[in-house]
Amino acid sequence: MLTREENEQVTRVGPGSPMGEALRRYWLPALLRRELPEPDCTPVRLRMLGEDLVAFRDTNGDIGVLDEQCPHRLASLWLGRNEEAGLRCVYHGWKFDVHGNCVEQMNEPVNFKEKIKVKSYAAVEMGDVIWVYMGPADKKPPLPNFEYTRVPESHRGVTKVIQECNWLQALEGGIDSSHAPILHRQLKENVGSEGIQPSTPFVRGGAPTLEVDVTDYGYRYTGIRPLGEAEQYVRGYHFIMPFTQLRPQQIGRAGAPDKEMVAGHHWVPIDDHNVMVWNFHYSFGAGEMSEKERTMEGTANGWPNVDQVTFRAVGNIRNDWLINREVQRTETFTGITGINAQDRAVQESMGVIVDRSREHLGPADSAVIAMRKLVMEAARTVAEGDDPRGAHSTTYHTARAIEKVFDRNIPWREVLLPEMYPEDVPTAG
Amino acid sequence: MLSQQDNELITRTAPGTPMGEYLRRFWIPALLTRELPEPDCPPVRVKIMSEELVAFRDTNGDVGLVDNYCPHRRASLFFGRNEECGIRCVYHGWKFDINGDCVDMPSEPAESNFKEKVKIKAYPARDWGGFIWAYMGPAELMPELPEVGYAAVPESHRRVSRRVQESNFVQGIEGGIDSSHISYLHFGLTPTKRDDPANQSLSNRDGAPHFTVKTTDYGFVYGANREAEDDKYYWRLTPFMLPFFTIIPGGTGSPDERTYSGHGWVPMDDDNCWMFTYSWNASRPLREDEGHSASFLDLEPRTMRSVVNKDNDYGIDREVQRTQTFTGIKDISVQDASIQESMGAICDRTKEHLGTSDAPIIAMRRIFLKACRDIMEGEEPVVPRDGATFRVRSVAEVLDKSVTFDETTERVPVGV
Repeated sequence: MLTREENEQVTRVGPGSPMGEALRRYWLPALLRRELPEPDCTPVRLRMLGEDLVAFRDTNGDIGVLDEQCPHRLASLWLGRNEEAGLRCVYHGWKFDVHGNCVEQMNEPVNFKEKIKVKSYAAVEMGDVIWVYMGPADKKPPLPNFEYTRVPESHRGVTKVIQECNWLQALEGGIDSSHAPILHRQLKENVGSEGIQPSTPFVRGGAPTLEVDVTDYGYRYTGIRPLGEAEQYVRGYHFIMPFTQLRPQQIGRAGAPDKEMVAGHHWVPIDDHNVMVWNFHYSFGAGEMSEKERTMEGTANGWPNVDQVTFRAVGNIRNDWLINREVQRTETFTGITGINAQDRAVQESMGVIVDRSREHLGPADSAVIAMRKLVMEAARTVAEGDDPRGAHSTTYHTARAIEKVFDRNIPWREVLLPEMYPEDVPTAG
Repeated sequence: MLSQQDNELITRTAPGTPMGEYLRRFWIPALLTRELPEPDCPPVRVKIMSEELVAFRDTNGDVGLVDNYCPHRRASLFFGRNEECGIRCVYHGWKFDINGDCVDMPSEPAESNFKEKVKIKAYPARDWGGFIWAYMGPAELMPELPEVGYAAVPESHRRVSRRVQESNFVQGIEGGIDSSHISYLHFGLTPTKRDDPANQSLSNRDGAPHFTVKTTDYGFVYGANREAEDDKYYWRLTPFMLPFFTIIPGGTGSPDERTYSGHGWVPMDDDNCWMFTYSWNASRPLREDEGHSASFLDLEPRTMRSVVNKDNDYGIDREVQRTQTFTGIKDISVQDASIQESMGAICDRTKEHLGTSDAPIIAMRRIFLKACRDIMEGEEPVVPRDGATFRVRSVAEVLDKSVTFDETTERVPVGV
């Protein structure tokens, strides 16, 4: 439970808000690289942390992220012309480079362009994603060097989808191991849609015990489920500040063979009431992924279930997420098609900002509680003038999420940690 | 730049606001004459300055402009019956004439005199120049109808239109008195071609004109002079006629033979406005295809919004933008709407950066702010009362550099 005041503090992300200022100290995923495919291509509207921005790739291939509104008379630069190394407002021809400098003022006989700047943010491309840094220039952290950004393009897939609720409740769903085999359960084998089949250790295992080890980047946590007489099924996740989850994807779900894969999400606030959910998965072994896997086609995060221009889901709060009660009775726990569509449905159903003064948390929610502590701590740290946890960490760069079934008497740290950190294991506490 | 307070002052026009009270001292276009084509035709909904009204043409051909809401139980008179010199509410049959008098109350006993006690809000309305004009201010302050050029010509010599714009009206005006944007927003050539003299119109040859503003009895006139050939300037003079009208410079032929066009922005409410346009030629009927481009737009019939609008990104075509036009948006009027609506419903003028080319905008805001302050202090703001004040036109001429701005402004009044 949070008090009303705490809930406000932790959910609001506009400029000047404590949480918003903390989030502005990290590199934030902003666009898919393919949204700005080539020099001088069409500019793209971008709303992040309550700020309306426009992004463009200039003639040199550099990316500019600017205030959407031209500083002259506040017309939208999205309508603008992307040409000759700058974005030009179509109203009076003022032109801005990727750094926000006004480089031309076509309509003024005596220019005052030296005095004009438009707000601009630094951008970098890594792993099919364009990342933006919206904080103070002197506090810029190291690049977001997640393992998925370093594997070959053929070994990863990245997509995004808009979710119509506050970012925090979406993130809470992602670090909540206990819901997965319930919300995403299938009532029988091979029903032909995304979901977790009854035969998997996920469903066969009992209710999980959660263990959280706080680290310099956030925490690692495990869901430990007793399995049969002598075994246990342990899933090791990472929470990377401020809004990233890594989850294991090695044990084949629908009777498929095991694979060397990790998946994850970033939950990037669009504003207080909307969040862009980023979905990524990658192969850290030798195996390439098929084109269909890379684009997540047919899943709740890909075409045709998510419009690939607006990134809005076809099933959404206005059409009851296309719930099918007959399917709910006979095939799946929810009657909603697609794992992440199920997540979006329950998270949006809580209201745009869930009232955490009315909730009742149990031990299965300990990862959620730990996350809230860390993000609130980050807001305080930034307000006090220090760098928030994780912003300057590099230990997560090699972190992987791992799942295994093994003897119940062996402590999970012995088995999992060497694989969760193929290089050095960061200290906990 | 304006302070937040001043921005609020000039943009809010509901009853009781200073700007709203100022605008209510003028005759204002409410709808088009052709929208009420004949006696007893269907009534039309009209929203002006946040007031919801209904317009109807009665059996005598006179126009009534009354409150949308029947004073009985507030049903909409839009659904009413326009018959026998009045509009009758279909709920209980109460009927009102164009003066707002209740002339029939069939739901009450015949001996009741209740109907003498009931009035509905009604505003004077006049057919004039293709528009139906309304006067919504104090009766004793009513000025003469403005003697605008398009009202002085036969119907065949003019073309009028209106459409909705999804922004505050001041943004509309600011686009209309902003000569420098035409070289960009409405520019029809690629930047590369811009450098080729063979492809340059006079406006495009010099994209950074000098602006001069002169206050007049009808509002102000501003001139933009651009370099032309041989020691000459290309002068474009735009009259700004209170409270929100302009005449666009341009056209060919002698000033008396030219076709003129202009527009006015009437607040619908604080977040939306009506753009009225007019085109006329004093010497001949207009051709089928002649007139302000907005009069040829396809509109959604019920909302009167362009079918190409905000919800479909104004049909922007990025390939066309790259190769053919500055915006990639088709129609000049839609180009204006796109840019003005893109500023948000009410532009946050605390954040803008105005330059010398924005001088007319600054002059217009000064007039509005002064009028608002007059109203707040109980002084009467300046409102031209003589209709002849508005006998003006625009100027677009190439003149010797020796002709001063003051001398050019003598070409604006008509028939002096």
